[in-house]
Amino acid sequence: MIGPRDTEHLVVNIGPQHPSTHGVLRLVAELDGEEIVNVEVSAGYLHRGIEKLGEHRRYHQLGTLMDRGDYLSGIHGELAAALATEQLLEVEVPPKARWLRSLMGEVNRIASHMIWYGTFGLDTGAMGQFLYAMRERETLLDVLESVSGQRMMFNYVRPGGVIADITPDAEQKLRTFLRTIDTYIDEHHALLGGNEIFQKRVRGVGVINREMGLSFGLTGANLRCSGVPYDVRRDKPYAAYGELEFDVPIGSVGDAWDRYLVRMEEMRQAARMIRQCIEGLPEGDVMAKIPKVVRPPAGEVYACVESPRGELGIHLVSDGSDTPYRFHYRAPSLFAVQVLEEILPGTLLADAIMLIGSVDILIGEIDR
Amino acid sequence: MLPDETVVRTVLSGVTQAEVGTSTLGVVVRVPHADAAASLSALKASDLGFVMLVDLFGTDTGDEIEVTYQLRSFARDEEIYVKCALPYDDVLHSVWNVFASALLPERETAELFGLTLAGHPNPARLLTTEGVAPLLRRSVPIRTLEEVRDR
Repeated sequence: MIGPRDTEHLVVNIGPQHPSTHGVLRLVAELDGEEIVNVEVSAGYLHRGIEKLGEHRRYHQLGTLMDRGDYLSGIHGELAAALATEQLLEVEVPPKARWLRSLMGEVNRIASHMIWYGTFGLDTGAMGQFLYAMRERETLLDVLESVSGQRMMFNYVRPGGVIADITPDAEQKLRTFLRTIDTYIDEHHALLGGNEIFQKRVRGVGVINREMGLSFGLTGANLRCSGVPYDVRRDKPYAAYGELEFDVPIGSVGDAWDRYLVRMEEMRQAARMIRQCIEGLPEGDVMAKIPKVVRPPAGEVYACVESPRGELGIHLVSDGSDTPYRFHYRAPSLFAVQVLEEILPGTLLADAIMLIGSVDILIGEIDR
Repeated sequence: MLPDETVVRTVLSGVTQAEVGTSTLGVVVRVPHADAAASLSALKASDLGFVMLVDLFGTDTGDEIEVTYQLRSFARDEEIYVKCALPYDDVLHSVWNVFASALLPERETAELFGLTLAGHPNPARLLTTEGVAPLLRRSVPIRTLEEVRDR
């Protein structure tokens, strides 16, 4: 018989250069053997001062900064900045621009979720799904490149509308993509979610219940997995979401498996919305007539969008000049990362890596 | 959706001297910073059901630091903004006991506006290293490349 062992607690730095922390996140973990006792999140390795820079840029340039915040879903960041500026200016956006914003937003959502899906599998030790996820992402990036000229940092959505109409090439690519995507998502789900080892890793681990989700300010799939059906697109419709049909998937348990299922279903719903957007795209201009240098009247507004990671909000305070007086970026990842301090203690070190992946955080957003 | 101002006044009447008004932002409540945690707690427990702290950030108004707490009620689909004014270099009292989501945003606000964080389980700096000026104050300029080189 071995009696109770008096083992020393070990403090381990996970990151900032660990490949599976999704960027430069550093976790200081106190370990008892293989079990995590306590975790402290340490951020700031990617701090560029986006909020300060925003106070020295014109309103049209805020989108450029937002692209570098959440760099995997630039369209959503740009959209939030544009919506806030339009609220200050009280500008009406042409219908076609609203529909194109929703269309490209959903294209970007699938592209971003594909990165999450691929790397989440890598975090649990699976490899194949990453390569197939990149196949889908590649097509979508081609579409975004065709309309905006860039594969990341699109700068496509500007105050007043969008910079360009959808090109025939992009439309063709999207139609081809839509013919196969539903089958492909089923295949993805069978490949990773159908894997028994994966299911055993994620089921019942990292449970975020309703109370925890609300008190930690979680949004997006992280909140919906605990059964709170809140989606900005449905509850505060912006762009063309008021006219689109889609379901908001929710989970029941709130574990990593639920978060996986919710995000997989979000991709199906995004494909459904892209289909509606292409079919129902109205005719007309893509940009409202607004001056090159805007000077909104003094005031304070908040605009939010549903980014792939949750509610992405922009607070803008204007003093009537051509630059914002205060530009605040409400990043969903900043709130999602602090829940790690709550859900990691009690789990194994190997699960920590998987759980970081399951809440889908992005360091560019946390540090800003 | 905007909450009813009279209901908000009633909820806060026993807690603090609140100034309730409507701006371009929505319904804004101004309270003394000493009563911030109590006010948030009253709004959370009331029938209004403001169960989530959506955001917390500071603004340098030129005379003082204004800290904004944005709350959301899911039951009634309403939002409210609670604002407190703090003098420069003052103490920011943590509200993490009421809303755990304040933990990291409070650290960020305190360091970037040069406030001292009190009542927080881990009041360390979050984004920058020791000795960096409070970057989001209006008085702290952005240096040009030449200025950084010649530093």
